[in-house]
Amino acid sequence: MRSLALAGTALRRIAHDRTSLFFLVALPVVIIVLLGVSVSDQESFRVGVVGSGSGRQGASLTTALETDAAMDVHRFEGADAEDRARTALRRGELDSVVVIPDDADETAAAGAVVEVAVLGEQTNATHRAAGQAVTAVVADQGAVIAAARARATVVAGEQADHVAAAQAMAAGTPPVEVRTTVVDADSGILPGGFAYSTPTMLVLFVFITSVAGSAQMIESRRLGIHERMLAGPVTPWTIVAGETASHLTVALLQSVLIVGVGSLVFGVSWGDPVAATALVVLWALVGTGAGVLAGSLFRTPEQATAIGVSAGMAAGMLGGCMWPLEIVGDTMRTVGHAMPHAWAVDAWVELLSRGGGLGDIAAQLAVLAGFAAVLLTAATLRLRARLTA
Amino acid sequence: MLHGAVVIAAKDLRQRFRDRSAIVLGFVAPLLMVALMNAAFSGAGEFHATIGVVDADGGVAGAGILDGLQSPDLADVITVETFPSADAARAAVDDGSVDAAIVLPDGLTAMAAGGPGVPIDVFTSVDADLAGEVTASIATAFTSQIATLRLTAAVAGEAGATDDEVAALLAAAATSPPAIQAVQQATSNEPLEPVAYFGPGMAMFFVLFSVGFTARGFFVERATGTLDRMAAAPIRPEAVLAGKALSVFVYALASLGTMSAVTALVFGASWGNPIGVAVLCVGMAASVVALSALVMGVARTERQAEGLSSMFTFALALLGGSFLFLGSAPPLLRRLAVLTPNGWALRGFTDLATGVDVWTAVAAPVAGMAAFTAVVGAVALVAGRGAVTR
Repeated sequence: MRSLALAGTALRRIAHDRTSLFFLVALPVVIIVLLGVSVSDQESFRVGVVGSGSGRQGASLTTALETDAAMDVHRFEGADAEDRARTALRRGELDSVVVIPDDADETAAAGAVVEVAVLGEQTNATHRAAGQAVTAVVADQGAVIAAARARATVVAGEQADHVAAAQAMAAGTPPVEVRTTVVDADSGILPGGFAYSTPTMLVLFVFITSVAGSAQMIESRRLGIHERMLAGPVTPWTIVAGETASHLTVALLQSVLIVGVGSLVFGVSWGDPVAATALVVLWALVGTGAGVLAGSLFRTPEQATAIGVSAGMAAGMLGGCMWPLEIVGDTMRTVGHAMPHAWAVDAWVELLSRGGGLGDIAAQLAVLAGFAAVLLTAATLRLRARLTA
Repeated sequence: MLHGAVVIAAKDLRQRFRDRSAIVLGFVAPLLMVALMNAAFSGAGEFHATIGVVDADGGVAGAGILDGLQSPDLADVITVETFPSADAARAAVDDGSVDAAIVLPDGLTAMAAGGPGVPIDVFTSVDADLAGEVTASIATAFTSQIATLRLTAAVAGEAGATDDEVAALLAAAATSPPAIQAVQQATSNEPLEPVAYFGPGMAMFFVLFSVGFTARGFFVERATGTLDRMAAAPIRPEAVLAGKALSVFVYALASLGTMSAVTALVFGASWGNPIGVAVLCVGMAASVVALSALVMGVARTERQAEGLSSMFTFALALLGGSFLFLGSAPPLLRRLAVLTPNGWALRGFTDLATGVDVWTAVAAPVAGMAAFTAVVGAVALVAGRGAVTR
């Protein structure tokens, strides 16, 4: 009972502190919303087109690119169009730049090959994919011209006279379809590549907040609040339980907030409710253990914020919160699984992308429970030792 | 005045470097982050996937695509493994023995000659997203030739060509070069490596923490009477402020300089022209001085200073692109970045790293940071008049 009162006091202190609220509520929500917007903005390739005004070839290729659902086309016109497009590409604001030559119409009429430059960094996977999408559209244009040439040999006339007929036929012919099936998934909430997502941010933030939140506990210790409490009819265990309860409450509240924002703003479906709840609660316990341990190890509140935030970010990077562990090497993946984060992220992938249930993430939950038990025990013993020393 | 300022700055710096938290935030943490990113992304360049292929077509079109997949051009990206049936390939993707699979359907060759359309199936797995993407785009690339032949057959047939004529036209089309061709070109710039973006990004995020240290230190000194004692000494208040500013400036510059030197030497991250890098670091350090002055001028207590500076740190880091790659962010966010000194500096750093001419890369960012420093510094002066003697 006394420990609950202690936890209540700690929580009231947090609720009255605008800085704490900023880090608990505002910062995670803003970061998640911004990341979400950035990711959803990237569903199509951003393609810059230079020379859209260069005759019939330019106009028809630009229209074809614009009607392609996979592309978000930005036209660059005017004197230094190509320079501006190259700058945007270099800064990563575009995935590909298409340069249509000024003399495209003359080249085509002469029966020569019109070469359309597709600019991109070949070492960049997105640039390569965008380049291939552009190549496919250019090839469709080539098909139309080839068909028009063929028609010109059957029916008399110039190739240009038959382009319209070929285009009409092409529009009526369904494209050669490439049908992609993900064999082991129900949904793609955890996107691959370099995309971030709400579930991994949940893992990242709850941990960092808990470790950084130990600053308050250290302040209580330094001010001698704990010692004064011990002078009364309060046992060290009560204080340990109270501090743990307040950390756990904060972790759970923040989880609920992030789950809520994910569902409401981005329509994230959090999978099987029982399994998701178990995962959220276990993760809150891991965070609590780390937070209380930090509170008993660090000497000053500044250390908790400085070292705690840095360590939390580092653990998140290792554990696949900032990028999927698919892209790292085997060694880094193994090292990453020394962090509880990697197991939590694995469990979320199982729940959300494969529609798994409690049984499917049993192994991950067991590992997380192990982490939570070790951290909480270490934290309890260490804090108790500090209090009775 | 100058001597007093230097003495005060030296004392502040000694204090700062004795504080383990300051060392962690200024030097250890950013290097750790960059080391981790480097370790993670250096593996990313060596992408390789094993792709299952089923040739249910058995005709020339299927054989052509299979040849293409096994060509030496693609050998360093994919390894091809053939399967007898679509079900076998699908099972292999599901159990992870291949990363993705392509099924070349029965009727593919017939489709090229104008027959009915049949889809090409690509199977992918959530465990190998990138491999799936690459496989689908490879499949798409191979379909364009089929599309050309099919359209030629359809158009010629509709125009009244005989079957023999169509066959001749197809033979001609299959061997003639395309009328319009996409030519993939590398840009003449250096590629933007993740480390060249997030290295400076992280360095500036952690440098912003020194705003909090400085401001809090100032309030502690006021509470403990150190400032009063300084005021009693024959030093002008301006010298005290100059000393404080100098210590922040030196600390910020040391942190940024160490980051650029160590990431360049240890991780081979090229930050670009060293003179340009130095100019940007100086600009950023000056902005940090102005921000510290603002917090000291506006806050009334140590607690307020702490809260205000952490909010500045995270807001600027977020808007300035330290956490997420600004190039892929919405245009609005990209425009907001020009309100932050770190956003300007980061733009300069990425321009330098991608090989832009040094003065072109540095001019606008320096102007942006100078404007920020001037505006914030002016507000700090107005708000903080008498802060030392208060």
